Amino acid sequence: MDRITLTQKNRLFWLGRYAERVYQTTAYMMKIYDRLIDNIDFDYESYCKNLGIPCNYTDAKDFCLKYLFDGSDPFSIRSAADAMLGNGMELRSTLTSTTLAYLQMASTALDEAAASDSPCVALQWVLDDIMAFRGSFDDSIHDEGTRNTIKAGRQVERLSLFLRADVNTELIPQELKMLLFRVDRADLDVDRASYGVIKGEEAGEKHDRHLLLGSVEGLIRV
Amino acid sequence: MDDLIRHKDQINRHLQRYGVKFGIYKNGEFREQFFPFDPIPRVITAEEWDSLEKGLAQRVKALNLFLKDIYGEKKIINDGVVPEEFVYRSPGYMAECEGIVPAGGIYSHISGIDLVKGKNGTWYILEDNLRIPSGASYPLIARMLCRRCSPATFQENHLLDNRNYGDLLRKTMDSVNTGGLNVVFTPGRYNAAYFEHSYLAEKAGAKLAEPGDLYVKDECVYMRLAGGDQRVGAIYRRVSDEYMDPVAFEPSSLIGVPNLMSAYRAGNVAVLNAFGNGVADDKGIYYFVPKMIKYYLGEEPILHNAETYLPFYEEDRKYVLDHLETLVVKDVAEAGGYGVVFGDKMSEEELARMKETIQAEPRRFIAQEVVDFEDMPIVMEDGSVEEHKADLRAFVLSTPDDTFVWPSGLTRFSRTSGFIVNSSQGGGFKDTWIESR
Repeated sequence: MDRITLTQKNRLFWLGRYAERVYQTTAYMMKIYDRLIDNIDFDYESYCKNLGIPCNYTDAKDFCLKYLFDGSDPFSIRSAADAMLGNGMELRSTLTSTTLAYLQMASTALDEAAASDSPCVALQWVLDDIMAFRGSFDDSIHDEGTRNTIKAGRQVERLSLFLRADVNTELIPQELKMLLFRVDRADLDVDRASYGVIKGEEAGEKHDRHLLLGSVEGLIRV
Repeated sequence: MDDLIRHKDQINRHLQRYGVKFGIYKNGEFREQFFPFDPIPRVITAEEWDSLEKGLAQRVKALNLFLKDIYGEKKIINDGVVPEEFVYRSPGYMAECEGIVPAGGIYSHISGIDLVKGKNGTWYILEDNLRIPSGASYPLIARMLCRRCSPATFQENHLLDNRNYGDLLRKTMDSVNTGGLNVVFTPGRYNAAYFEHSYLAEKAGAKLAEPGDLYVKDECVYMRLAGGDQRVGAIYRRVSDEYMDPVAFEPSSLIGVPNLMSAYRAGNVAVLNAFGNGVADDKGIYYFVPKMIKYYLGEEPILHNAETYLPFYEEDRKYVLDHLETLVVKDVAEAGGYGVVFGDKMSEEELARMKETIQAEPRRFIAQEVVDFEDMPIVMEDGSVEEHKADLRAFVLSTPDDTFVWPSGLTRFSRTSGFIVNSSQGGGFKDTWIESR
């Protein structure tokens, strides 16, 4: 970890967050596309409200297209993918070109999905490429601090999405445990009050969901 | 070669995979785009390379001696070889560099020399780039990917290996390092050549530093690292002189390292390339490079300049004004293909206006005979082959002990019918093969 700059450390954390955001939201949108085949209604307004993003869409189809592919919308998956790749590009010397290539491929796959009349095929590549990125990263980065920083970012984002969307609640205790595991090993600047809330929740205490979400979001000071 | 052409799309997909891009600012917006690659390489024979290699090394040695002289004894001015107006009125001359001898005595560590091959088979130097020449990363990564896509091509053709550029760059940095880290300093992601900055840092094993990562304390440069700050010994900077130190140069620069110049002046850090090199790659000074070679090295220039006129001299000015419609005129302050106008493309009104400007500001321009340089075959989108203009940027690396010409180079081609090959103007690139026998 002493080999990277403070700016790079910050970017590693955000790369972890954005890669997870792209992964989780893309996987979710693939499920939504599947529902729309059967004309099953999708309450996109509640989805936006839960995630805390503006709902400027005319209908479910408009939501699907813009939320996935509109680069001018700062809350879209396209914008998250740009931020993921942008952080990755600035970490080339840490990640290596070989590992960075998977982020580029995920970004390109999202472009291909946008141009396709069967976007889920290319969206699957987005997920595959992000998984390949993680595998390549795990395989080639040996510095524990670096590994734990990006993984701490991933955990924060995953928990943030689960808590906001109120999904996968059964997984939250183990994800909290994993977050603390990463934070304890990443030498990050941690907010102790937030740490205490998460530690308590992980040990079985029950906190208000908003307090827990605020603690997850505010845990790491970057 | 056919095998490479057959794999064109595959090679370009691989280049995309590795994010081989360059950025351009158009209408105030930054856009990144993939750099189009053409699979048909420029081939330079071993015999031709032998002459090019010697000529390029000779030229860069002379330019380094010129820089040392200009910021030192100024013998070349005192001996009347280069008029002082061309030095002190050059926008690249920096009075702040007077008397400073950089670590190892080298000024232009990484030089990018632009050449074209005339249809008569003669190579002409078009431009010397001694500040922050870019482009080496593209043929470097393209060769790796071409080998991967078409191994048979590289078994059948015997070429000098160009994949050692990262090592050469590291050795060049090591040769002048004053003790500490090697750093590639980039202005950041939104620079046109950001891919190159990050790729070369990786290949040279150097740290990539952005604005804010470096600071100066007690006339030494340090890098902020997560495990504690470390001393920096060599900075391969990819930022223009004027933005490198807001204390010494442009006060509004937000990307510079305050007081870097004091550390540099004290000899506590090497800066590659040195500050003030712009005085030697000024388009006006270009005219004098063959004279420098004779003056400093006592040798005849091996490579030729394109026939050049300086409107600054009355005789040349008269010729330029009389023959403007057949000449190419270059604004000495511009780069990247900008500020270049061809007389035969100008209307009567534009010619008249240009003549007025030349008369009012003769020092601002040079004029050259148009070199009818060779066309090279380019594979088009539909698979057909068209001939387009192409130039070559050769890279010369200098250490205190040696001057080394990288056996490769960036061949850029125009994707339109014109002469402008710069990537910023929509051109593409090719690999450059140097035959080993």
